[in-house]
Amino acid sequence: MSPSFKAGAREGFRVCLPVSVGLIPWALVTGLAMVSAGFTPVQAMGMSFIVFGATAQLGTLPLIAIGAPWWLILATALVVNLRFVIFSAALAGPLAGGTLLQRWLCGYLLTDGVFATCLERLRSDADPAWRLGYYLAPSMWCALLWQCSTLTGVLAAGAIPRGWSLEFMASIALLVLLVPMARVRPMLVAMLTGGVLSVLLRGLPLRLGVMAAIVGGIAAGFATEHLQKKTEAR
Amino acid sequence: MNYDASLWLTFLLIGLATLLPRASFIVLGQRASLPDTVQKALRYAPAAALAAIVVPDVVLVNGAPELFNPKLAAAIAAVLAVTLSRNPWLPFVAGMAVLWALR
Repeated sequence: MSPSFKAGAREGFRVCLPVSVGLIPWALVTGLAMVSAGFTPVQAMGMSFIVFGATAQLGTLPLIAIGAPWWLILATALVVNLRFVIFSAALAGPLAGGTLLQRWLCGYLLTDGVFATCLERLRSDADPAWRLGYYLAPSMWCALLWQCSTLTGVLAAGAIPRGWSLEFMASIALLVLLVPMARVRPMLVAMLTGGVLSVLLRGLPLRLGVMAAIVGGIAAGFATEHLQKKTEAR
Repeated sequence: MNYDASLWLTFLLIGLATLLPRASFIVLGQRASLPDTVQKALRYAPAAALAAIVVPDVVLVNGAPELFNPKLAAAIAAVLAVTLSRNPWLPFVAGMAVLWALR
């Protein structure tokens, strides 16, 4: 490991530590949900390691429980994961310095929280080794924290009262990510458009409304950036 | 409920449907890079995506929008905490406190 990889790793870990706290209740809830769908602890942890994606896991659980056909389960998982193609494309340049194995690992470990927190610095820093450390260290930390918390949820299934609503801490974590972004005007427009569209289109099947809201939000942000540039040029 | 061995095949399918979108461009690398305009537009992806996930969660009550509900009040408290303080734990404390107090 080069010194700049280590320096990047330290910085990435420091930046993502507060955000990673929001994973704990979410992982606990995912663990509880898998057990209540009828999985044994081994099956639940198997799914957690093979999939490692809360949205895909929670989205497919009800389908598995009712014995839905495999293609419907596959399609549902693909749709909720489409956003990762966008994230992956944004990370391709910054992470291009890694070996093939490292890049597969980067892909497996890709999560919303680390992506949102680290993207700006990943795009601006010039050192490939620093960028790899800055992405991989917090990603591995989040995976470790995620699996430990999921295991806790699996083993404690039933013991944690649902009335505590601890899963709301995940929503708070997302808000914590959004607030600093909102200081840039086009980013704020992207956010508001995405949020409002997601509420309006909630009736669409297969969570396609979320996809449409994301695309609409990106378009709105991009359009605002263009309008701003035109106004400044005058 | 009991599942047979095909459950593990189902896990593998869901795993592939998660890994391939995530790894797609990172693994293919520069050979398949997106055009510059798309790259620029992608800067707005995290903001749009996270808002699309979190806004329905704090605004909807039993599937319908409701402006006066404990979750939205808790969300506002958390946002205020981020804006007014640099303490990373305060948003969680403030948000959960408001949520529990109003329930």
